[in-house]
Amino acid sequence: MNTLRALGGIVINSVERLGRASLFLYEVLLGSWELIRRFYLVVQQVYAVGVLTLLIILVSGLFVGMVLGLQGYNTLVKFGSANSLGLLVALSLVRELGPVVTALLFAGRAGSALTAEIGLMKATEQIAGMEMMAVNPITRIIAPRFLGGVIAMPLLAALFSAIGVLGGHLVGVGLLGVDAGAFWSQMQNGVDFRDDILNGVVKSVVFGVVCTWIAVFEGYDAVPTSEGVASATNRTVVYSSLAVLGLDFILTALTLGEV
Amino acid sequence: MVGRKTMELWVGLFVAAGILALAMLAFKVGNLTSADVINGYRVTARFDNVGGLKIKAAVTMAGVRIGRVTGISFDDKTYQALVTMDIDGRFKNIPKDSSANILTSGLLGDQYIGIEPGGEETYLKDGDSIIRTQSALVLEQLIGQVLFNKSAQSAPSK
Amino acid sequence: MNQPRSGAQDGDNLVDIRDVRLSLGGRQILKGITFSIPRGKVTAIMGGSGSGKTTLLNLFGGRLKPDAGQVIVDGQSVPDLKTKELYELRKRMALLFQTGALFTDLSVFENVAFPIREHTRLSEPILRKVVLMKLETVGLRGARQLMPSELSGGMARRVALARAIVMEPMMIMYDEPFTGLDPISKGVIAKLIRELNQSLGITSIVVSHDVPETCSISDYAYLVGDGRIIGQGTPAEVQQSKSEYVRQFMDGLPEGPVPYQYPAGDYVQDLLQGTA
Repeated sequence: MNTLRALGGIVINSVERLGRASLFLYEVLLGSWELIRRFYLVVQQVYAVGVLTLLIILVSGLFVGMVLGLQGYNTLVKFGSANSLGLLVALSLVRELGPVVTALLFAGRAGSALTAEIGLMKATEQIAGMEMMAVNPITRIIAPRFLGGVIAMPLLAALFSAIGVLGGHLVGVGLLGVDAGAFWSQMQNGVDFRDDILNGVVKSVVFGVVCTWIAVFEGYDAVPTSEGVASATNRTVVYSSLAVLGLDFILTALTLGEV
Repeated sequence: MVGRKTMELWVGLFVAAGILALAMLAFKVGNLTSADVINGYRVTARFDNVGGLKIKAAVTMAGVRIGRVTGISFDDKTYQALVTMDIDGRFKNIPKDSSANILTSGLLGDQYIGIEPGGEETYLKDGDSIIRTQSALVLEQLIGQVLFNKSAQSAPSK
Repeated sequence: MNQPRSGAQDGDNLVDIRDVRLSLGGRQILKGITFSIPRGKVTAIMGGSGSGKTTLLNLFGGRLKPDAGQVIVDGQSVPDLKTKELYELRKRMALLFQTGALFTDLSVFENVAFPIREHTRLSEPILRKVVLMKLETVGLRGARQLMPSELSGGMARRVALARAIVMEPMMIMYDEPFTGLDPISKGVIAKLIRELNQSLGITSIVVSHDVPETCSISDYAYLVGDGRIIGQGTPAEVQQSKSEYVRQFMDGLPEGPVPYQYPAGDYVQDLLQGTA
């Protein structure tokens, strides 16, 4: 009986948090309108969220592309279709790995930092102070960070995929001797702009919204103590990762189901 | 903290690089340049068997892509597959009696439609259909044929 | 005891609290509290930790709504204000947080400039003059380029004070301004509170449990305990009071009306039981 009650409590709690998070998102979106006049605040956050995440994205993208090149070649060569390596690398990156791995790295690097930053602002009464100065913290603190994340994510994912393709080229053409012409032409024949590339971009935009939303909400909702901020940061990474993988499945099913 | 100018520079670089990467994905990785059929006209063809042909498969002539398959449906009166394709508007002079064949790129590659030109002076236009078609080679049937021939050859020598 | 006997005439009160009750998290913090704060004076609200002093400040600023009773600031009923009106009111009041609550990612100068940048469109040269004048008031004009992490506790609180007065508010609320400071810094803050009150005519509310410092600067003092006003008067009157509560608090006695023991069951029974 107690277990049942506890379970019910958890469910009610989660639904309540979801409701709070949705209302919060609504407020953030309202606040975002007012930022059009003060776009500098968003630029600042694109720097904090995007530029500072760039290095890890580029390095990871390069290595993921190189691994794909190596693994793909070893599989394809058994079927005598090593020329399709470019296609395999590009499709894996553009449709799946680019958006998903970028979002996971983003959650770990930028999302956790956002949560910790906002949580600490709350713990040190900076947010309360702002409210008392008649400045809406959602407009001034949350909305720029949210927009910064939403802008940065698709760009990061595109960079990840692009450098990944170059990594695959490096290994496939440079090391394993796949024909460069076949590598590119097979890729261009097989990768469709609308179905593959736009699909990947849509995914990364969705992930951008969800990851940044989770990060800023967890920060804003954190218990204002050091343990509170620590567990909020933890939750950001866990929830973001789960949300990204779950949504990836749904988005993939949606787009593949149509064809 | 970095200065405002430095930060703006970095953000500018970041956004430019991101857009560049998107452009590279669109043009170099994807087929935005060649995929879209410009001012296309629609042509249909009936096949006994389309095999593994898919929507968006290439339509080629002499190995050059001139269009794409836009629809595959089943006609329950003739028991044939009805394939619609868009041909690029730049290629207007395809003879009416051309034949459409379903071909395979490589042994296991994707299937596509290859058009062999005929000799007529009138040309295909929007809404026309290609009469002469050759169905896809289905691997199982091919293997079956080879085995059948083999056994037919070896039987008399016994 | 709850009669509104304020230090000034009625009608000249900036803040009026009438029979306010408030529960937070199932615990009743304020149990029908009534008092008023005169305009242009330094009023102290003293009381032990957890007696609801900070809650009162949050009521004035509209960050909390009372369950019952009235909160009137400058003639407006705070709980009934719409968000926009509340923000207009907040522009005319300032709250100095215990920790200072400086924005850690902005320099001292930018911290003080923050309210101006948010609420006005002053040109950069004028803004600079205003900020430097306020920093000079708290004696930290030389520290304008430092980051909050490079400041001592006392300095951070002075910067926060400069930020609080930069919009020239009608009232400043100080939440525990002396806590955690060395004697010199305490003296500096006390002097600043007094000076700002006199030179700018700002109504000041000091919430504190530091008896000597608070008494030395305030015109009138309230003692809060158990969600009610338990004593009031000029600092001299309060210090002479015979009330048990007041005596316990002013003299710092461990036992008295406020028990040393947190409410608990029978001690022996408790020890003999096996479980927590």
